[in-house]
Amino acid sequence: MDKTIGQKKKTLPFDENVRRLMIILVVLLIVTGVTKSASFVNLSNFQSIGKQLTEYGLMSLGMGICMISGGIDLSTVYVANLSGICAGLIFQMNLPGNVAVGCLAALCVGLLCGAFNGVLISYFHIPPMLATLGSYELFMGISVVLSGGSTVSTQGQIELLSSLTLLNIPLPFLIFIICTVALVCLMGKTKFGTRTYLAGTSEKAARFAGIHVNTTVIKCYMLSGLLAGIAGLISLSRLNSAKADFGTSYTMQTILVAVLGGINPNGGAGRLSGIAFAVVILQLLSSYLNQFPTISNYYRDLIWGAALLLVLVFNVKISQKSGKKKD
Amino acid sequence: MDKKIKKVVKQTEFYILCIIIVFAVIIQIRSGQFFTSNNLMDLVRSMIVPGIYALCALLSFVSTGADVSFPLIAALSAYIAVLAGNTWSLGVVPVFLIAVITGCLIGCINGFFIVRYRFNSLIVTLGTSSICSGILFGAFEAGRTELPEKLYALSKVNIATVKNESSGLGSALPGTFIIMIVLYAAAYFILNYTMVGRSVYALGGDEISAERAGINVKKVRFGVYVVNGGIAAIAGLCYAMMSYFYMPNEYAGAEMLVIAAVILGGTRMSGGIGTLKGCLLGTFLLTMVSNSLILFGISVYWEKVVVGAIIIIGTAISAMQAQRASNPFAVRRKKEA
Amino acid sequence: MKENVLCVKGIKKSFGGVHALKGVDLTIKKGEIHCLAGENGCGKSTIIKVISGFYKPDGGTIEIDGKEYANLNTAEAISAGIQVIYQDFSIFPNLTVMENLAFNQVLAEKKKFVNKKEYRKIAEEAVRKINFNVDLDARVESLSVADKQLIAISRALLHNAKLIIMDEPTTALTSKEVKRLFAIINELKKEGITILFVSHKLDEVFEISDSITILRSGENVHSCPIQEMNEEKFTYYMTGRNFDAVPEKEKISFEERKSMLKTENLSAPGFENISFDLHEGEVLGIVGQLGSGRTELSLALSGMLKPFAGSIFLEGKEVRLNSVSEAQKCGIALVPEDRLTEGLFLPQPIYKNISVTCLDALAKMAGVLKEDDEKTLSQSWVDDIGVATKDHTLPVSTLSGGNQQKVVLARCLATKPKVLILNGPTVGVDIGAKYDIHKLLRGLAKNGMAVLVVSDDVAEVSALCDRAIIMKAGKFAGELKGEELNNENLYKVTA
Repeated sequence: MDKTIGQKKKTLPFDENVRRLMIILVVLLIVTGVTKSASFVNLSNFQSIGKQLTEYGLMSLGMGICMISGGIDLSTVYVANLSGICAGLIFQMNLPGNVAVGCLAALCVGLLCGAFNGVLISYFHIPPMLATLGSYELFMGISVVLSGGSTVSTQGQIELLSSLTLLNIPLPFLIFIICTVALVCLMGKTKFGTRTYLAGTSEKAARFAGIHVNTTVIKCYMLSGLLAGIAGLISLSRLNSAKADFGTSYTMQTILVAVLGGINPNGGAGRLSGIAFAVVILQLLSSYLNQFPTISNYYRDLIWGAALLLVLVFNVKISQKSGKKKD
Repeated sequence: MDKKIKKVVKQTEFYILCIIIVFAVIIQIRSGQFFTSNNLMDLVRSMIVPGIYALCALLSFVSTGADVSFPLIAALSAYIAVLAGNTWSLGVVPVFLIAVITGCLIGCINGFFIVRYRFNSLIVTLGTSSICSGILFGAFEAGRTELPEKLYALSKVNIATVKNESSGLGSALPGTFIIMIVLYAAAYFILNYTMVGRSVYALGGDEISAERAGINVKKVRFGVYVVNGGIAAIAGLCYAMMSYFYMPNEYAGAEMLVIAAVILGGTRMSGGIGTLKGCLLGTFLLTMVSNSLILFGISVYWEKVVVGAIIIIGTAISAMQAQRASNPFAVRRKKEA
Repeated sequence: MKENVLCVKGIKKSFGGVHALKGVDLTIKKGEIHCLAGENGCGKSTIIKVISGFYKPDGGTIEIDGKEYANLNTAEAISAGIQVIYQDFSIFPNLTVMENLAFNQVLAEKKKFVNKKEYRKIAEEAVRKINFNVDLDARVESLSVADKQLIAISRALLHNAKLIIMDEPTTALTSKEVKRLFAIINELKKEGITILFVSHKLDEVFEISDSITILRSGENVHSCPIQEMNEEKFTYYMTGRNFDAVPEKEKISFEERKSMLKTENLSAPGFENISFDLHEGEVLGIVGQLGSGRTELSLALSGMLKPFAGSIFLEGKEVRLNSVSEAQKCGIALVPEDRLTEGLFLPQPIYKNISVTCLDALAKMAGVLKEDDEKTLSQSWVDDIGVATKDHTLPVSTLSGGNQQKVVLARCLATKPKVLILNGPTVGVDIGAKYDIHKLLRGLAKNGMAVLVVSDDVAEVSALCDRAIIMKAGKFAGELKGEELNNENLYKVTA
């Protein structure tokens, strides 16, 4: 498979792919606004959209980073669950200052799990798909052991995290925006980001060029783990509970979102900003479909699966056209 | 003779066999229950559906790459077949036929996108899996469904039963075991003794050489995914039969362990290499681990941890072996200027 | 004409708007060894693919053994007796030797089933033809490159080949293996089989061929019997230019100069007890065939491979090179052997390929990297070294081999190294770029850089280096300097 990347034009600020997504988003907003304006275009609806997309939005960002580095993170959902369970258990202990400790623990769990993945992939040379397959079983297993196989419930200690709004924007969505901006800058404008893209393009060439590929890969998976940890906390805050097998379908969703957002699963190409737009588009679409009570939620899977394949084909056709133009 | 022994020992399959034997002995020592007839029969029974799925994973890895759609293809095909069977009171053979045809049609979707556009097979099969899920739960709103009469009757047929005298536990081997044996026998014949089967390995080894040799690479690869769909459909019906009901929610999630089993059994993710006996051994190992933990004295809660650890250790070893095999330094030293 | 096994005239072939062949003629007499030579991109591979039926020509005629073929396809070409042995040998690394030998034939006969006994018979017959002793049940991936090539040749002979086309067959062979190959080729010639030998290696061309055809930019330049060809004419026909000699190396001794890179009894997987001293302004050659340990030495000196014994001294101080970036910080840079997989990020833009080694230096606070800074750096090197490109934001895969090598050089020189190590600096590089690179290296040496050239190209080493160390089977095997450093002596010592 050809690894081609969207060339950055000097005049326009965004990648071709991302610009296309922005256009789709605008079109979608118009369509939804016009057809279901009453029930759809109101603050609380948008707020709920913003809230719902945060969890898998964060995990998709993590997935995107791992994909750019040439790998994949199948364990992200289970890291989130494990982080949520750890935080929940600490909250249950009702010690002074346990909210802070619990949150910190969740983030640390995320980082540690990510580091574990990174080490398996870089030092042990296990293919990322297999390494994160094994680690997801492991993390899920630890979650089961810690939670005793049942749900860990909390008493709303961090409920604010999901219910607070600043300037009418839900806090989770703000967190998502902040993370997106931070990561877009990290991947696009720092030497770490450049090294990640290059390591994802060709690990061998990266080593010969003096890039510490192992360190770079570990950092990528740690980032993914951290994002999963944050997602786990937000989930805990929203549901007041955490369990080992929550959100198993999210894994596939995050991969779909990353690919829809323009990340090349072979590595070395794609922009994180595309993921952000893809997440918003998908959640918007999902919410829109909810307005039609006859269309069950399960259709979402069908639409996303079909959308994934169509977008992939569309991308190929577009790059074929632009390739011809260059001649 | 010596050379042959050396060759056998070098294979991954041999190592897995050793590990299985070691585990079995340990379990036997701890619980005295491993080599009992009913435990062994239970193990074999648990292996049937994953074993059939393993064929899909093997074919996919050898020729192209990962395939994660087989559980949902199984679910959807089985549902349609069961539905049709119930609606028109069909016999066993028509029900299986409908399932296989449905599975093959879905497999065509995989084949089309993977062959025509050369997309990453993991991503395409994820998409297909999603589409199947959407159709099954969205369009059909599938739920627990009773099996067609004749199929239900067949599912009750057991080819063997054993009863453990000391523990009083009984176990039965259902007829679906024969389906698995037949599939494996067919696979063995086709993959080893027909040119089509060898072409699958050839194109997995070096696609360009295969093309130059005259193999229609696109056709063969497409065919692999169509066949995978059919095999998955059979697995789907077998699963329903062994549960005596069709339950759509039970299918998803099986792909990961099957892939792990197949990789542990020596199949290479990069393609071209993988054996049927490896699939069986890998599946047996993982099934044994998940089923026998109780006998080990380990609480069920730790099952996933143990399975995850085994997958990690197993793939680490296989990855390090692959590294050593492709190590240019080791190879170069043998060749003198 | 019956005395010609192949006669193609006026072959035209275009891809998109690119004219790969503009009307090429090729005539090969029966039983001769004919060499097809030309720089990268001259159309050698395309004409081979047309002859073998893989491509259909847009114009021209193809005549094989007197018979004209209007619509040649691969199956027809094979039955007409044409066999191509590609550079990658077209083998299946995951299958056994036996299967590799028999597969194509069984497939061509449209058989549906596999008969293992038949396979073995076919395989045994194939290897017997060239007296090739190999374990038929071994998996091909475990064999050496030379053995893989012999499998390809054996397989080609199965089909009653009249014309065997070999595409750059000696690229990955040791000199012993090359001798064995040439002996086999001569045996084949005795049996009346014609060989079309594609190569750019001058010495081999002169050793083995009976006649030669040179192509340039999709057109014929010259064809003649080998006796009428010499090195000067060859270079002229290949490039269309006469080359001024590379700046003469000053025949001075560098022993008085400062020691830049010194090793004492250095050993690592692949070589042992290598000691040498590279001085400021000196160009030192490390010569050795495949398997001599020369590549491992270059890797050990640049931080890619950890030595298990011995020491490395940089400017007199001992250093431990634990990683490539550490070596870079010390001032050592390596141009790797295989630029496509080790030296370049093919889909990435040229400027990213150049700036990759300087990211730390270019980065501001908190690791922030400005793309404009990268581009400025890259542009200055592109201009300095002379990379033929108008737009350095294009992927580096769009460049020719020679220009790609210049990009790799640029990224190494961007780190301002004190010692530059190059492994096979002009492999797969057209003569024009080869000349540019040699000129550049001598210029760098004159300005004080210490240059280490690891190579198996005898002519390159004798033209470029002040001194040469020979390696054989991982050990030190001699040194040549000053007047002794010339082609004949090098051939003698490395044979």
